[in-house]
Amino acid sequence: MPPYAGLTPPSSGFSPKKSDAKIITINVGGQLFQTTPQTLEVAGPKSLLSTLSKTTTFTHSRENIIIPFIDRDPELFSILLSLLRTGNLPSKAKQFDLEDIVSEAEFYNIQPLLISSLSNPSQFDAFNLEKSLILPLNGRDSPSAIATTAFGSVHVAHGSKITSFDWSLRRKSTILTQFSAVDSLLALSPSVAAAGATDFSGLQILDLEKGFIKEKLDWENSTRSSSTVQAIGSAPGFLFASFESDRRNSNAIMVFDMGEIGFRPVAEIGRSEIYGAELDSGIPATKLEWIPEFNLLMASGSHGGPFGLLGNIRLWDIRSSNATWELKEKVDCFSDVTVSNSLSAMFKVGVNSGEVFMADLRKLDRENPWVCLGDGRKGSNGKKEGSNSKIQSHGRQVFCSKGGDLELWSEDIGGSRVTQMAFGGNKMVLARKDQQSVEVWQSSVRI
Amino acid sequence: MSDENSDSAPPQDRIKLNVGGKLFETTISTLQSGGPDSLLSLLSTRPDPSHNNPIFIDRDPDIFSVLLSLLRSNRLPSTALRRFSHLELLDEAAYYGIEHHLRSATSPPPFSALDASLSTTLRPPSHPFPSAFSAVSDDGSLIVAHGGQISAFDWTLSPAGTVRTHAEDISSLRRVWSETAAIGSSSSPGLHFYDVSGGRHVGSVHWSDPSDPRVYKARVGALTDSADSVFASFECPHRENCILSVDKSTLKITAEIGRQSGGSAKATTPEKLSHLPDHHLLFGCAISCGAFGFSGYVRLWDVRSGDVVWETNEPGSGRSSRFGDPFADVDVDPRESAIFKVCSKSGDLAVVDLRRLGEDPWVYLEEKNPSLRNPGGGGTSILLHCYRKQVFVSREGGLEVWSQMEEEEGTVEASPCERIYRRNFVDKEEDASRGVIRRMEGGGNRLFISREGVEGIEVWESSNFSGAISVD
Repeated sequence: MPPYAGLTPPSSGFSPKKSDAKIITINVGGQLFQTTPQTLEVAGPKSLLSTLSKTTTFTHSRENIIIPFIDRDPELFSILLSLLRTGNLPSKAKQFDLEDIVSEAEFYNIQPLLISSLSNPSQFDAFNLEKSLILPLNGRDSPSAIATTAFGSVHVAHGSKITSFDWSLRRKSTILTQFSAVDSLLALSPSVAAAGATDFSGLQILDLEKGFIKEKLDWENSTRSSSTVQAIGSAPGFLFASFESDRRNSNAIMVFDMGEIGFRPVAEIGRSEIYGAELDSGIPATKLEWIPEFNLLMASGSHGGPFGLLGNIRLWDIRSSNATWELKEKVDCFSDVTVSNSLSAMFKVGVNSGEVFMADLRKLDRENPWVCLGDGRKGSNGKKEGSNSKIQSHGRQVFCSKGGDLELWSEDIGGSRVTQMAFGGNKMVLARKDQQSVEVWQSSVRI
Repeated sequence: MSDENSDSAPPQDRIKLNVGGKLFETTISTLQSGGPDSLLSLLSTRPDPSHNNPIFIDRDPDIFSVLLSLLRSNRLPSTALRRFSHLELLDEAAYYGIEHHLRSATSPPPFSALDASLSTTLRPPSHPFPSAFSAVSDDGSLIVAHGGQISAFDWTLSPAGTVRTHAEDISSLRRVWSETAAIGSSSSPGLHFYDVSGGRHVGSVHWSDPSDPRVYKARVGALTDSADSVFASFECPHRENCILSVDKSTLKITAEIGRQSGGSAKATTPEKLSHLPDHHLLFGCAISCGAFGFSGYVRLWDVRSGDVVWETNEPGSGRSSRFGDPFADVDVDPRESAIFKVCSKSGDLAVVDLRRLGEDPWVYLEEKNPSLRNPGGGGTSILLHCYRKQVFVSREGGLEVWSQMEEEEGTVEASPCERIYRRNFVDKEEDASRGVIRRMEGGGNRLFISREGVEGIEVWESSNFSGAISVD
């Protein structure tokens, strides 16, 4: 922590002549600020402020002192200087709109500091979440998919449109897509997203700022028909997409390499074709999650048949294109599955019992790896308590939505049914059925 | 970059200002960004031997600090409009001569119907039910006719004058040049010009034909204008009608276009006129709804010769691919060279490329979204309006937009018929329940809507701000 480097001992008093420490004086819009080069260097090498600390020559004689001048608003600068000194925004920042502070931070090129102060994933505290914002969406469509980036920008697909909110959730932009509804959306960067739909062929890489299609990716299936996207996932450098042919008789997961030249297909895994009535032999994956700890890709899919829901969960090694583990779900099949990397475990919500089960990723060779975390006696009564439930892990927590409630093993959040759930930065983003807005839940932030 | 690290000890381009007792320091280049004629850039060029003495300006320092931020960063601090009124900021910006800066910083972003919301409702004074209105396409200002009066709203949507006209009601209105409106009334004859801010009558034009005694007391149905002429459709009590071209500088009739008897649905007075400057064409249509459904015509005249270039009538012959599904409204998009129609029974939208007109040139736009299929006829009140590559369709109270897919970079401009359109609702259901939409028009970065029996005019704008609502 640099802030104390420039403090002169109290005995010597405030005198630049005597002190050995280097003090920089800056004139911002007519107001003088004094700080140390160490504080200014916190701004990072790209910032205007750290170049200031390097180019300023330190002269201790009072006559020759050169005060660098920055022609900006002094009050906003004082807030950003506090941010540099302490890493946090001072409480007087409340008098300003975050909007203004963000754009001033952009001028000085210190927005990463501001982001980490206000939207740091480490501030996410699952037991202390409260509904903080509602982001209204224009038009009549309800959100069909939500994607977030690590520092909290939010992309919401509603109807044929995608509305993107920046990390401060103060600015937005909307683009039109070719899809009638986007069913899977994955943010690759704050301005690029991969989108697909179950009723429109091809995976599209969209530029969310200008609104055009950067690239269209497709899967060459055996029937030579076009193919729709069932799920999208990503790992560092790779993009995964689960494709199903339009005739719904074959499916596969494509692995694309995200290089500088664009997206290059590198592997096709788990290709399956359905012959006759054996539907459960080729259920397309509807959820793809990367498990960095094991270098495996979790793919899950389910199918509602006459005897209830059937599903399978597979863990793929993408280098060898082999499934290292496969589980067929027949009794109390999952309604949704998720993997928590930090807990090395997989979680599911049973469609019949509505209970959350856990499977240890290190001990998967057992007959039934699921351990019920709730009341294990349920599930035999035939009610579908867990249908439409969603489960999602974030850090060391597992969130499970049931109807309008969201549980973290204690927390209940009322309202209409939760249809989408996503996490980014220190925020949780929820969409509910028939609502033309998304909810942002946040731990209380210091501002 | 505005930082100054030069070695010369007293920097030459720095300037100190004392505004109302508060000291500000900035650079000359910042002050000069206000434009060469602004007070601030004049002050900055003033030869001042003792440049350490701040220049004193006897104005409010708080508003000045907002305007200085505007000059420095080209954006208005978002707290500014909470602390000061728009008018206050505008007056102060006018004092310093930097209104156009303020204007570009406070005007809404380019209108995108995909992300538009109701921003305000304008209520003209004394008689709040608008009978007609006309938007100005470049700056988003508006003139409204309400009960025989015309009120103007400037680009900030603040009131800019009202004039009482001789007419009891104004059925058509168009701003034909700055401050001057052309009006037509369904109750009194003639085309009249009023100066709205000056509050006076400028001139009148009547249709007369010495060779035909039936031409008298002709009333104005529709209005449009080109760079130098005003076009107005006139109708006599005997339904004889034509379009007159009136020169803007002399207010004299220069041409009579498309005179017809008015005896049948194919010869009624045009109720919508548009001028297409790129093609030298005048677009007109008349659609009426009777006991047997909609009927009418769409016609294109060559402005120079007065000849009909193309026309289509509906219900047409059985050869039409959509026989029995006549149009309910038609509009032309001059920039895109396309005519759009909305069908009365199916509710479908169709487009014609003006460069490829023919016998049955309509291309019907496909609705691929299953949740939006079967748009429904919308009863008798379907309206269509084209604005900035977007086609707005209102069905009763609901408002939808057909937007073009953004072209990939570097592709050739496609014909309007070959583009991909997507249909979306602009409004929410509670907006639609306010009333049947009677008129809509785009102007600047705004869309103006008036509803049947509802006071005022709705202003729809898009915004870059998320409008996040805090829950506390």
